[in-house]
Amino acid sequence: MTMRRCEAGTLELGAGLEVLVSASIATLRDGDLLDVVVDSRSGSLELPAWARRAGHEVVDERRDGAAYVVTLRPRPAGAPMPGPTLDAPTFPTGELRRLAGPEPREADRGAGLVPLGASPEPSLTHYDWALSSRDRIWTNKLASLADRAARSQWDATRDIPWEAAAGLRADAERGVAQVMTYIAQNEYAAYYVPARYLAHVNPEYIEVLMWLASHVHDEARHVEVFTKRALAGGQRAHALAATELSLQTLLDERDFSAAALLLNVLGEGTFLDLLSFVSHHAPDAATATAARLAHQDERRHVQFGIAHIRHRLAHDPDELQRLVAAVEERAAKLVSLDGLSPVVGESLVLLAARSMQPSDIGDAGRAVRDLLGRMNRNRTRRLRAAGFDRSTAQRLSELHTPNLM
Amino acid sequence: MISVGAVAYHPRIVTIWERFREYFAEAGVPTDYVLYSNYERLVDALVGGEVEIAWNTNTAYVAAEERIGGDAQLLGMRDVDAEFRTVIAVRRGELLGDLAELAAKRLALGSRDSGHAAILPLHWVREAGVEPELVRFDTDLGKHGDTGDSEIRVAEAVARGDADAGALGDATWVALRAEGHPAVAELELAWRSPVYYHCNFTALPGFDGAAWSEALLAMSHDDPTLRPAMALEGVKRWLPADKSGYATLTEAMREQGYSA
Repeated sequence: MTMRRCEAGTLELGAGLEVLVSASIATLRDGDLLDVVVDSRSGSLELPAWARRAGHEVVDERRDGAAYVVTLRPRPAGAPMPGPTLDAPTFPTGELRRLAGPEPREADRGAGLVPLGASPEPSLTHYDWALSSRDRIWTNKLASLADRAARSQWDATRDIPWEAAAGLRADAERGVAQVMTYIAQNEYAAYYVPARYLAHVNPEYIEVLMWLASHVHDEARHVEVFTKRALAGGQRAHALAATELSLQTLLDERDFSAAALLLNVLGEGTFLDLLSFVSHHAPDAATATAARLAHQDERRHVQFGIAHIRHRLAHDPDELQRLVAAVEERAAKLVSLDGLSPVVGESLVLLAARSMQPSDIGDAGRAVRDLLGRMNRNRTRRLRAAGFDRSTAQRLSELHTPNLM
Repeated sequence: MISVGAVAYHPRIVTIWERFREYFAEAGVPTDYVLYSNYERLVDALVGGEVEIAWNTNTAYVAAEERIGGDAQLLGMRDVDAEFRTVIAVRRGELLGDLAELAAKRLALGSRDSGHAAILPLHWVREAGVEPELVRFDTDLGKHGDTGDSEIRVAEAVARGDADAGALGDATWVALRAEGHPAVAELELAWRSPVYYHCNFTALPGFDGAAWSEALLAMSHDDPTLRPAMALEGVKRWLPADKSGYATLTEAMREQGYSA
C-alpha cells in the first residue's frame, strides 16, 4: 500500500476540486490511499461529502500546519487498461483493430452505439442488429477499400467538363441521353441496396459501416452525374419497364451475401464493361469523363463483392448452394426478359457511331455486339475469382439478367 | 400483498416505485405502493395500519416512533442515509471559528419540519449556547425537506446578505456545487455536523418484514434494469437500519415541541 498526495490548494467542489481528485485517484494502484491537501476549511468540509457519494471511503481528516488533509481510500475501479498507441503520421483504417483488438466472430446483437475499444456502461437501451455475425458481412479488404474510397471522391458539379456536352448531333445526343438515363436508373438500385443493409450492421463492425457508407455516397454521385448528363443536351429519354422489373428483383433480395453477389459481382461487374465502352466511344468529353470516374468507383465495388464472396465461401462452404440458388431464383423471375432492351442496344449504337453513315453505324453495331460478348466472358472470370468453379461460373454468368444490372 | 407508503414529493417517485413493485414481485414478496402528499398522513397511515411499511424521513420516523411507543421496526435504509450531515454555509471569507460565533448573527433555516435543514441545526446551535436571529424558509411543509427547495432559498438568502449563515443537508450542498448553482458560487462551508441517520423503512412491531427486508437488501445497482430507479432514489446499496443514528433528532424534536 502506498500513500499518494494530491495538492488541491484553493480548489472548491464544482470548480475543479473533484476533477483533480478523481484524476489523482485514476493514477492509483489498488490499495493505495490518497492524501488530499486543501488550503481552506470549507474545502476540507465539503470534500468528504462528495467523496462519500462518489463511493470513496474517508479514512482520516486532519490539520497539517495551515492546511487540511483528507485521506481517501478510493472505491475499487476497473480502470480501462491502456492499449497500444499510434506512432505514425497517418492513421490507416486497418490500424483500428491493432489498437482496439480484433473483430469478434459474433458481435452482441443487443449492443449499443459503442465506439470501437470503448467500455460500455450498463444501459437499458437494447438494439437487435440483424447483421451481427462477422463472416456474413466481412472481408479483410474492407479497411483498405474504405480508405481508397475516401481518397477517391470526386465532384459531379465541378469535375466534369460540362461545356463539352453542348452541340452534339441530334442522333448522337438522343443515344447519349437514353444511355445516361438507363445507367442512372440502374444506379438507383446500386444506391438503395447498400443503404438498406447499412442500418442493420452491428456498430462493432465499423469497417463494414464505413464501406457501405462510401458505397452509398458513390452511387448517390453516380445517379447525380448521369442524370445531369442525360438532361444537359436537352433531350428526354425513357425509364424502361424491363429495367424496373430487373431492379425490383435485386431490391427484393434479403441476404447480404446474395445481394453482394447479384449487385457487386454480377451487376456492377457487368457495368464496368459498359462504362469502359461509354468512356471509350462517347461523342463528347462530358459523357466520357462521367463514365470514366464512375468506372473507378465501380471497380472498388466489384472488388468488395469478389472479396466478400470469397470470404463467405471460405468460412461457410454450404453457402455456395444458397448463392447459386439466389441467382437461379432471380433468373426465374426474369424469364419474361429476352435479351438487352432494344432501346438500350440502339442507343448504344447511336452513342458510338461517328456519323449516321452506314459504315459508321455498322462499326458501332459491331462494337456493341463485342461489348455483350466481353461482358459475358468477364462475368465468368469474376465469378471464378469469387470462388465458383468453371462450369458454375459459366452457368451463373449466363443466368445473369439481360438488363445487365 | 405488502403495502408500502411513500410521499410523492416529486413525479419521479412513481417511476421509482413502479420499478420497485416489479422487483419485489419477482423476488417473491408482492408489494404495492401507496402515495401520500405529506409525511403526517403517511405516519397516520402506518400507525393506523393502512400500510405495513412507511418510507419515512428521519423526522417522520421519530414522530412515528413516539406514537408507536418505541417498538417500531426498521427494515432498511440507503447507504447515504447512514452518513448524513448538516453543513453551515457562509459568504466566502466570513468564516466562523465555531457555532458560538453565530450569537449576534442571522441564521437561515430550511422548512421547519426538515430534520437536516432546520430541527437538527437549531439544536446544535442552541447546544453551543447561542440564540441567533432565525430566518426561516418554510416551503413545501409536509415534505420534510425532501424537495430541497427551502435549502436553495437558504443559500440564496446567505448569498444576498439577508442572512449571515445558512443550514443545508450536505447532500444538497454537494448537488448545488456540482451543478454550478449560482446561489452557492460565493459561499463556503464554515461548519459540519456529526453524522446522523436520515430515511428508513419503518414498520409496526408485529409485522413480519424479514423477507421484504432481505429482498430490499438484495437489490443490485449493477443490474441495469434496476439502476435507473435506484439512481432516482439516490441509493447505490441498501443497508440494514438500526436506531442508533436518531438519538439527537429525537432529543431535538422533543426540545422544539415538534409533533407529527
